[in-house]
Amino acid sequence: MIEKMAKVEILGLKDISMDTVNVIQDLGTLHIEDLSERIASASTKRMTQMAVDPKQADREAALSELRAKVGDLIRDLQPDTECICREDIGQEYDLVWSDNVEVMISRIERMLREVERETRDVVDKKADLTLELARLEKYVPIMQKIQPLAARVAGSPDMASIALIIERKYKAILSYLNEEIGKLTNGESEVVAADVDEESTAALVVFNRRYLKQVHEFLAVQDVNQVRLPSDLAKKPIDQAVAEVRAKMAEIPAKIDEIDRKLEEATGKYSVKLIAARNAIHDRVEAMETLPKFGQTDQVFMISGWLPQESVEPMEEALQESFGDKVMITVTDIREEEEFEDTPVALHNKPFVRYFEAIYLLMKYPKYGTVDPTIVFAIFFPMFFGLMVGDIGYGIIIMILGWLAHKKFREKPLVNMIGYILSVGGAWTIAFGVLYFEFFGDLLEKAFHAWHIHLPLLGTETSTFKFPIIRIDAFEFMLVACCLIGFLHISLGLIIGIVNGVRGKDKKHIIEKAGTLASLIGIVMAISRLIFGWMPMWVVIIGALLFIGGMVGAGIGGGMGGVVESIVGAGNILSYSRLIAIGLASVIMAEVANDLAGQMWGGVFGIMMGLAIAIILHSLNIVIACFSPSIHSLRLHLVESFGKFFEPAKYKYEPFKKTGGEG
Amino acid sequence: MEEAVKTGIIAFSAAIAISVPALATALAQSRIGAAMAGAVAERPELAGTAIIMVAIPETMVILGLVIAFMITTLNTVAH
Repeated sequence: MIEKMAKVEILGLKDISMDTVNVIQDLGTLHIEDLSERIASASTKRMTQMAVDPKQADREAALSELRAKVGDLIRDLQPDTECICREDIGQEYDLVWSDNVEVMISRIERMLREVERETRDVVDKKADLTLELARLEKYVPIMQKIQPLAARVAGSPDMASIALIIERKYKAILSYLNEEIGKLTNGESEVVAADVDEESTAALVVFNRRYLKQVHEFLAVQDVNQVRLPSDLAKKPIDQAVAEVRAKMAEIPAKIDEIDRKLEEATGKYSVKLIAARNAIHDRVEAMETLPKFGQTDQVFMISGWLPQESVEPMEEALQESFGDKVMITVTDIREEEEFEDTPVALHNKPFVRYFEAIYLLMKYPKYGTVDPTIVFAIFFPMFFGLMVGDIGYGIIIMILGWLAHKKFREKPLVNMIGYILSVGGAWTIAFGVLYFEFFGDLLEKAFHAWHIHLPLLGTETSTFKFPIIRIDAFEFMLVACCLIGFLHISLGLIIGIVNGVRGKDKKHIIEKAGTLASLIGIVMAISRLIFGWMPMWVVIIGALLFIGGMVGAGIGGGMGGVVESIVGAGNILSYSRLIAIGLASVIMAEVANDLAGQMWGGVFGIMMGLAIAIILHSLNIVIACFSPSIHSLRLHLVESFGKFFEPAKYKYEPFKKTGGEG
Repeated sequence: MEEAVKTGIIAFSAAIAISVPALATALAQSRIGAAMAGAVAERPELAGTAIIMVAIPETMVILGLVIAFMITTLNTVAH
């Protein structure tokens, strides 16, 4: 259900505005309204937007700078946030936090100086070593390729060589270089090349030392990458240079490990402090950024917003206790439809239903003052899921997997919610599995094929209700049953629509929804006689009257759209035939798995193969069963049922509180 | 022989009832899928909506399956 809210206005003396913000932030229950637009459009200018004190702006800038520094240090130290106790962070947060911004800034600066003193040099050294290692790693393959080429010219002192590295896609340039350098050196040169990796080619230009200057000048103009070794290696023979590079590469990881050990110590010592500082800065900046949402006169500030009704009293008490008569709070109930529009929405459901609020990941919250349909979703979604999958074995597996996911991922709300929903869906799957007498497809039916209890309760001669309902045989019965469920589901949506109209005192809305419902009932009454012959003939006449009357009502209430909506209602009901269609696909696949496994049965190898096939195909079917029925059940809610009444909220209730940037 | 032709026509009708909507669904899903993939790339929060959007044209093939099944059931009833 939607939490009842109260509109509040808080007035106080301007010199205590920031202190008031601190108290409100500590309570963490007020959804603040941004008054700037209302002030800008007001005809009188008695109230203006709250101006930010220049000193305050400076402090905000200082905090932003500190936030960047803290962020850098956290990135350098890489603390494992999963392993840090939240209580420790909370305690450190309280030590860092101060209502006086300057005190808080100086505390954080002092802490940062201490952390930087211990970590800055090691972090820089690690960065240098990592860079050096990356550079040397680049040299090695190039030098290895060049080494045999260079060895060929090492014996002749008149010859000089220059190593080049070229992208492989530009390899064709080598023949051009060979030709041009040949011209420069009167043919006393040679270019030899070898591919280093998929992207680069190493080349060695060998030429008479007399032309060293010309060749260097030519290569500089050609913008070709010359391989330049570190200065201490450049003049050494290439064999020796390679050996030294390898030795350096072997030393660096050990040095990095040593630095990492030091950093780990620093991480253990400072990570809680740094995270607490980051959170405190976030909350402080958040508070400062809220100020422009307030209104002000010469002496007074005004904060407007919404509170859950149960939080009004604590807010009044806290403000009274902290500021006495210097701050006043006025509370008004939200009663008018116009006020519903802007009121933020908070949901307050019982634990069983709360997990089904996952649907609001796909849509906005319902508008304030309307009916919260989470309970409808909580009942029908898993029921439709179970109706489609309907297998005792599958249900047990889905329920266990869902429950395990729900229990294991308590910290991950989405997986936690989905796990719970799946486990409820699994329970419904077991229930419908009993009704269909299905256990991993038709295994039970095969085992007890003679066992049929006939319970002729309703239906025609060809589709009499009997237990068990073998879905393939009882297709027509299931089709009718699914459409009837659809009729109830859509009708429920329309009834909620009527309730929303009554709450919003919107007569047109009520007439439109009631008209659509009447025409839907009329269609179903006519079909029940004309197609199935269930009812007496006079039902058709009443049905036709209801349909026409409903269509007129829908037209009066909703215009042309309402008329169309009342006519397509029958189409919406047919959409529920997917409940049996998807179910049939699932049961047929399960039977195929059993038949294939059965064909392999016989002998040890045959049994193993049969089991493997059955496990693979049933697993695949279960995975499909988790996705496809969920999506179709969702669609039936979002399009067919909720589409009849759902009005989205403009704003979700987001109280102004200390979050530390964690949502 | 006449019975076999009748059965064949019924089977063929059922095949058309499922295959034409299946092709239509595939065509619609391919276009919606491509469009939603683009939308999700820019706004990842639309992923849930994208799944629903892609599932919407499946109504056609589901109704096709229902009709095909009814046609084959008629065949059984006729026998």
